[in-house]
Amino acid sequence: MTATTTRARVERRAVVQGSGRRRRPPGLPWILPALVLSVGLIYYGIGYTGYISTLNWDGISPGPEHVGAHNYTRILHDPVFWAAVRHTVVFYVVTFVIQTILGLTFAVVLHTRLRLAAIYKVIVFVPVVLAPAIMAPVFRHMFAPDGELNAVLRHVGLGGLAQPWLGQTNTALPVLMFITIWEWTGVTFVLYYAAMTQIDPSVLEAARMDGAGNLRTLVSIVWPELRGTTVALAMLGAIGALKTFDVPYLVTIGGPNYATEFLGTYIYRMTIPLSHVGYGAALSIILLVVALIMALALQFAGREREGR
Amino acid sequence: MRLLPTRLRSLSVLATATLAAAGLSACGGGDSGSSDASTATSGTVNWWGWTPTDTATANGYIAAFNKQYPNIKVNYKLVNISDWVAALRPALASGKGPDVFDVQPGAYVTQFKSFAEDQTALAEQALGADWKNKVAPIGISGLSADGKLTAMSVGSVYAGMLWINGNIFGKYGLKPPTNLSEWQHVCQVLKQNKVGCFVQGAAQEGFDQDTLQSIANSVQPGLWTKVSTGDAKWTDPGIVKTFEIWKQLFDGGIMQEGAVGYQQYPDANNDFLTGKYGMVMMGTWYTQYATTKAMTAALSAAGVSGAKPFPILPITFPDVAGAGNTSEMYGDADFGLSISTKSGSKAAAETFVKWMATSAEGQQAIADQLNDLPAVKGVSPDFNQIQLVDPVTLGPVQDLITKAGSITEPRESLLSSDVQNAILAAATSVATGKATPQDATATLQQAAEAAGVTFK
Repeated sequence: MTATTTRARVERRAVVQGSGRRRRPPGLPWILPALVLSVGLIYYGIGYTGYISTLNWDGISPGPEHVGAHNYTRILHDPVFWAAVRHTVVFYVVTFVIQTILGLTFAVVLHTRLRLAAIYKVIVFVPVVLAPAIMAPVFRHMFAPDGELNAVLRHVGLGGLAQPWLGQTNTALPVLMFITIWEWTGVTFVLYYAAMTQIDPSVLEAARMDGAGNLRTLVSIVWPELRGTTVALAMLGAIGALKTFDVPYLVTIGGPNYATEFLGTYIYRMTIPLSHVGYGAALSIILLVVALIMALALQFAGREREGR
Repeated sequence: MRLLPTRLRSLSVLATATLAAAGLSACGGGDSGSSDASTATSGTVNWWGWTPTDTATANGYIAAFNKQYPNIKVNYKLVNISDWVAALRPALASGKGPDVFDVQPGAYVTQFKSFAEDQTALAEQALGADWKNKVAPIGISGLSADGKLTAMSVGSVYAGMLWINGNIFGKYGLKPPTNLSEWQHVCQVLKQNKVGCFVQGAAQEGFDQDTLQSIANSVQPGLWTKVSTGDAKWTDPGIVKTFEIWKQLFDGGIMQEGAVGYQQYPDANNDFLTGKYGMVMMGTWYTQYATTKAMTAALSAAGVSGAKPFPILPITFPDVAGAGNTSEMYGDADFGLSISTKSGSKAAAETFVKWMATSAEGQQAIADQLNDLPAVKGVSPDFNQIQLVDPVTLGPVQDLITKAGSITEPRESLLSSDVQNAILAAATSVATGKATPQDATATLQQAAEAAGVTFK
């Protein structure tokens, strides 16, 4: 009796396991090539950068000097690093807020029955597909002391406002923010536009029947429904701000006097022209950690709100 | 049923091993002991440089070289100086970079000396045992490091003078300024006539250094070299005075608006060549634009179609300190040619470098371009073969070349990239009013000490 029961259990377990194998084949062989690539290219790269960050090394010479956490302590006392952090925060807040307002406005307006809406959509989105490397010389020319902006200002009698926009510490960063907003508002618009199509029309209809006007509907119905999109845009914007490199490098080279230095440009400056590869690696690790923390915090904040 | 997973496992293991091997081999870097695919008279040489700044000039040198060595193909790749380190470092490290590359005294020698062959034997072979007596000494010291000659100097450049647009000065009846107040007067006159006065790319450290070194030489000749070597401190009252005068250039209407957002190349260069400004801070390399050929090409490169070349003239840097010191010039080897230790065409590369740096034909080609003063002594431009925009330029250009031949004060070779970066920070922070000259020089002193400069 006992032997029969035991055998039956073993057979049943075998059947269960066998069927389990059939239902869920071993995944390791399938993911292994991708895993090797991922670990090899990304995580190995991060690990190696972490190792380099403990060196005093120019990136070429043999026998780099191990300095432990010295690069990190130096960074904490580096005024250019903190300036880059400040610029990143200001840049993020300003560009995100203005892009959100503009993107949302465009999406709302273009959801109405507007003539030539398709053309407006293209106009708003075109800057997204233009490479910064192509547009940078245009903006350098536009904001030059004898550039188009100042020419227009002088032409309309506002010559007093004409100034060397890229050659002043107080105007160079706003110019970069303007360029970024011009470039990326199209993405915000497209995402909001798509998200608005997902809102249940009956909810909007119910709001109308309850007497809600356009603004009330937008604030109380549409905007809350777009929360997921806004959180995603906030996350993308934050990571984008942390990774900002192309526009400041191409337009102002981080200047004047570090007024448009970002973490990306500072990492490049330290690593390539100045050959402080260890210091640049430490900056990169800090950038990675900050990006992760920011992404997690924004995701956590988004979920918490959804939970409420 | 069992065969498939086994095969998959095997494939996975194979893929893993292949990827790992590929990764390891990639990490292993290039093969430094590559065999030579060339001979002294045949092969392909890839030459990378930031100068000559136009490929037409480089191709002119190559064409002259090919008259003697038709079976050596030289490919010149022009890389902007602002991208030079970023482009060259990985190229050399990977072993897939150039066979021959430009090197400049100072930071570039420090950064790339480990990739450069020692050319001492090559110099001896070309010029004999007393080769050092046959070339400009300024081209040896700056290009030597760790007991080896990392590059052979092709030619030298000197700075410390200004260039003026002869037409603009003539049109408004202006004389070259000799001191600060005259300079301000010239700028006032030009401004009243809606012409820019002096243009400088103050966002680029090398050119800020030139202006600062010139001011320092007006304040106290030789002081800049002393602080560069650590024989005096950057907080020296003479250097503080230098930065005060630098600030006056901005506040006194001499520097153009927004100068700290300008690059010398292309911004300031283009603005001067397109006639927007009457003066610019450039060195002897600008002599080439006194010729019709180079000026026409430069105007075209600056985006001016159909513009008529105009005469440019070198003038002495004004005595801005008012101390009665004639501001001395200073210079370095403009560029030397290094041969990569990882080159697969070393024999052909040696032939090319030897021809450029030591042969009579090569050096004459260099001299006639008026971009560099030739490295080998006794070679001078053949002005019978050179067409100047205006014959009136000949005298000042010849005087400049004669004067430069006796210059010994270094330009950039004593400064590391860290110190150069600190000078730029000090210059722009003073110019923008973010720091006083005293504060800026104190910060500069700290940066120089942190960069390893030992001060007495």
